[in-house]
Amino acid sequence: MSEIARKVTRYFTSLVLIIIINFILPRLMPGDPVKNLIGEDAYVSEEVMEELRAELGLNLPFSEQFISYTSNLLHFDLGYSYHLHAPVAEILLNKMSWTLIFVGVSVVIGTLLGCFLGALAGWKPERKASHFTSFTFVVLSCIPPYFLALLTLYIFSFKLGLFPSKGFYDTPEIGSVLHHLFLPVCVMSVFSASRNFLVMRGSVIQEKEQLYALYARAKGLYNTDILFRHIIKNASLPIITLLALDFGFLFSGALFIEIIFSLNGMGVMIYNAIMGKDYPLLQGAFLVIAFTALLANMFADLLYILIDPRVRGGSMDESV
Amino acid sequence: MNQFDCTDNSCMKEAGIEGFSEKKSEGSNFEFPEETSYWIFQKHKGFQGLFNRIGVFLFILFVLMALFPSVFAPYAPEERFIPYEAPSEEHLLGTNDIGNDILSELAFGARISMTVGFMAALISTLIGTALGLCAGYFRGALDELLMGFTDVVLVIPKIPLIIVMGAFLRPSIWILISILGLLSWESTARVTRSKTLQLRGAGYVKSAQCMGFSSYHIMKSDIFPNIIHILFPKFMLATASAMISEASLSFLGLGDLSMKSWGMMLSFAFSQGGFIRDMWWWYMPPGICITLCVLSIALIGFGLEAKEGEHFKEGANTL
Repeated sequence: MSEIARKVTRYFTSLVLIIIINFILPRLMPGDPVKNLIGEDAYVSEEVMEELRAELGLNLPFSEQFISYTSNLLHFDLGYSYHLHAPVAEILLNKMSWTLIFVGVSVVIGTLLGCFLGALAGWKPERKASHFTSFTFVVLSCIPPYFLALLTLYIFSFKLGLFPSKGFYDTPEIGSVLHHLFLPVCVMSVFSASRNFLVMRGSVIQEKEQLYALYARAKGLYNTDILFRHIIKNASLPIITLLALDFGFLFSGALFIEIIFSLNGMGVMIYNAIMGKDYPLLQGAFLVIAFTALLANMFADLLYILIDPRVRGGSMDESV
Repeated sequence: MNQFDCTDNSCMKEAGIEGFSEKKSEGSNFEFPEETSYWIFQKHKGFQGLFNRIGVFLFILFVLMALFPSVFAPYAPEERFIPYEAPSEEHLLGTNDIGNDILSELAFGARISMTVGFMAALISTLIGTALGLCAGYFRGALDELLMGFTDVVLVIPKIPLIIVMGAFLRPSIWILISILGLLSWESTARVTRSKTLQLRGAGYVKSAQCMGFSSYHIMKSDIFPNIIHILFPKFMLATASAMISEASLSFLGLGDLSMKSWGMMLSFAFSQGGFIRDMWWWYMPPGICITLCVLSIALIGFGLEAKEGEHFKEGANTL
């Protein structure tokens, strides 16, 4: 029970910390806070600025500002983008769905691929094929995701002309969408697989030394049967934690890949927001991503309780 | 020799060490562990050795490039020639949009990219070590607090946060270094903590406590030297990931405009038409350099980690 209370406290603290960071950043940064809150290059007249100053309560003490800020957040009011002339929450909701589909599909494919290959490589690490896959994935994990995207875009779209180079679709049909998304999803899957592969490999190497693996062998199970029927279940536990903790990293990788492939999702939106110094949009994006990462971690914890009886019993050391 | 070998190692470490230190002294087959080596060359055979040699070779090459860029660069990085030139004998990798020689830029970029990586990793390793040591050594409420804090920081997605902060702050290399360093210490802290937890039950730490040495002294001269060998690979891997992050952030235009790192070059090549004009000699070299440099550092890190694994098996930390 105390374990749950501890987790809840930590998640709550994270949430508060994220909100505080978001609240403080525009107000403490050098420069006019109004400018910081609405974005630097937005053209607004002096009167509007004064109006905004009053409306945002920038003359009030910090504590009151914070209270009104959080109450706004609870009403899903993330501010107003003066560049795009729309509420931030609306823009984000619009872009986020595409990005989530893109990330979701690729991470699932990537995790399966990484786990499968990693398990095989860990099972017989001395084989040539295992060395080859290990080295390939080490190299892949060292390439910045956007450079990988750039390379595939160059080779498959520009040189070979096999795939379209930008956008989600020409005509909103499923075939066109699939054709457009194939390359980005491939790059993203490989990127996500390269994060899982090494962990899975190490995990399998550790697990196969255990007694239950020996027992399965003594029972007469064949090699790969031991791996896929017994070891893989236990070995994939660290992957769940990794996926949750990696969520932010994977997500940002996806943003870069989106930028390269000009997919009109959050990545391109953030890129434009940086270029145009559209601070409210950037902040809203950060808040939403951080919140999703938080949810992913909570989900992983719940999943752990569901599939690992040791956690349910409360006998698991938290250092694992 | 280790009665807990068959059980889940990481779960039992803490419990295992307690009863273990006394038993060890009576053991008949005791062997002193080999001296820990920090030498980046590993005497491995086969693939592992080959990877390690590739890594070390590339690493030395890039360090030389960072230290003496003028040896590799035919021109000064600011010198201007005709823009958008294809590779020729005068300009081995051609010139960019404002007429700088790309090979020279590449050589001078090494120093900036590597400085960011190493400095950020240094900051994160220092913070992580300090927090991990304190949490593991004092345990109790402090441990709870520090590890709680670590968990809290761990959840916040780093790159989006850096993007937001980088957009507000004027991009400069030092801000980039401190943000990257201040946000990536959690894994070091965790590893240091679990190792410290093991070590604090060891005989020599207990005797130092009995002799009345201060906690600071014990941490400094008894525990710290025994965790250095896990910190070093962590440091290398942190460098590698900081370099990737730097390249990514520079790509978004959040890097230091006055200091052209490799990520910056890639960013310019992408935004100033190098990609559309099919000038592979512009955007490929910096990308390849980042990849190879990160790869060499990561290979050395993995090599050291494998070494540490063997060291563990030899009984180095059974004290």
